[in-house]
Amino acid sequence: MSARRIVLTSGKGGVGKTTTTANVGAALAKRGHRVVLVDADIGLRNLDLVLGVEKRIVFDLVEVVEGRCQIRQALIKDKRLDNLAILPAAQTRDKTAVSELQFAQLVEQLGELCDYVLIDCPAGIEHGFRNAIAGANEAIVVTTPEVSAIRDADRVIGKLHERGLPLRLIVNRLRPEMVRSGDMLSVDDVTDILSAELLGIVPDDEEVIDTTNRGEPVVLQPESRLAAIYDKIARRLEGEVVPFTTFGAPGFFARIFGKAS
Amino acid sequence: MIEQEAPAASAVPRKRGRAIVVTSGKGGVGKTTTTANLGAALGASGASVVLVDADVGLRNLDIVLGLEARVRHHVLDVLEGSATLDDALVTDKRVPTLRLLAAAQTREKDEVDTAAFRDLIASLRDRFDYVLIDCPAGIEKGFANAIVGADEAIVVCTPEVSAVRDADRVVGLLGDGRSVKLIVNRLRPALVRKGKMLSVDDVNAILRLPLLGVIADAPDVIVSTNKGEPVALDAASPVGEAYRLIAQRVAGTLTGEPEIPRERTFFEKLFGSLR
Repeated sequence: MSARRIVLTSGKGGVGKTTTTANVGAALAKRGHRVVLVDADIGLRNLDLVLGVEKRIVFDLVEVVEGRCQIRQALIKDKRLDNLAILPAAQTRDKTAVSELQFAQLVEQLGELCDYVLIDCPAGIEHGFRNAIAGANEAIVVTTPEVSAIRDADRVIGKLHERGLPLRLIVNRLRPEMVRSGDMLSVDDVTDILSAELLGIVPDDEEVIDTTNRGEPVVLQPESRLAAIYDKIARRLEGEVVPFTTFGAPGFFARIFGKAS
Repeated sequence: MIEQEAPAASAVPRKRGRAIVVTSGKGGVGKTTTTANLGAALGASGASVVLVDADVGLRNLDIVLGLEARVRHHVLDVLEGSATLDDALVTDKRVPTLRLLAAAQTREKDEVDTAAFRDLIASLRDRFDYVLIDCPAGIEKGFANAIVGADEAIVVCTPEVSAVRDADRVVGLLGDGRSVKLIVNRLRPALVRKGKMLSVDDVNAILRLPLLGVIADAPDVIVSTNKGEPVALDAASPVGEAYRLIAQRVAGTLTGEPEIPRERTFFEKLFGSLR
């Protein structure tokens, strides 16, 4: 059986592609799948930091493509989840070091080693983007409820459609209290504008900043509310129908009187 | 036909404006917001300012300024000669000395010729006191174009390990020939105190750049961005004030160490900001 090859992309940077890749990957691995995460951001890699494996990098993606090492030598196994591995990007090279065809072939080879290949796409829609989508057979578009992020996501969705890649949407860093006060777009607003199927809603949580800096995906913190959310996303990827948490959360009076709205 | 591009170089004494690229490596750290607010603050103080969106294909500076409905022509139209510079420059609604040169939305960065972009920035420097260039994320062709005409750079960085690493890479690529200064964006003093966020000192221990200013994380920036109203024009906003101080530091009218946002005390929270 061939692996699912999923690219996580957004257009705009800083909306949470790398964090989402690490956490969805870890959630899938926790559920028993063999997962390989690929950092396609050659020159500006960060997935290694988010997973805390930056000191264990020996070989990188470009060296694999150039035939200077075996894939298995470059893959770094996670110490916490033994069916999770990462292929780091090169830091001192640029994105043109790898062609679209080479990238597609690499992802295909990785697919023979696991159940899920998740590709962390760089920001933008230049060469690095074209590489990252070249080997994928589905896409997750990550966006935040901000006008600029949505405009960029819309542009990227157009490019994914041109490739015929099926896609679903993760709305990241939602602040329910700002949605209620009319200062932030709601999830419905976002899915309406982009007319894309929803895969997950992740609330803004300062816990992510800390866990990212420490290199410990939030999914691995047992008491984290975000761990449960990423687990649901993983289950939806498996095909299970999991209801969405509504962050239309109870207002002040509902909380006082214990009524869920 | 008489040449339409009115105050041409011959009629008006050439300015020698400053070309400053706002860059970061990592996306989403606040380049566009910084460009818009710094431009608005400089413009409001009387300087003539043009903001250039170098993010061809993923433009957003027009949205942040609330000018998206007024964009008729873009950088590539000017470079390809299908519009004059005057046709393409959009005047800000609030600050009459502020102009926007929008990026093309349906084109690619590879279509922009780097040498032509450098020449365009040079011609803008003849006409404006400040040319601020909003760089795209990443370090590909769009980055190369954005920095080529600038002899100064502002690196925007958030207090996160990944942003610092990307900023460090960008500082290296900017080279020694440019003046490079730092803005630390989206600091959360409460998280720094709890040891859950890097401090400004932590960030600059790695980057070692002259500090222009520190902006606190504040939800009103999201609101102002969505509304297209730069917070720097809001006299009551503390974040707006931070941008105005940065503008003064860029202009050289303010010296000394920038203030680092601190947590509000219990009484300030209770009675609102003291400003």
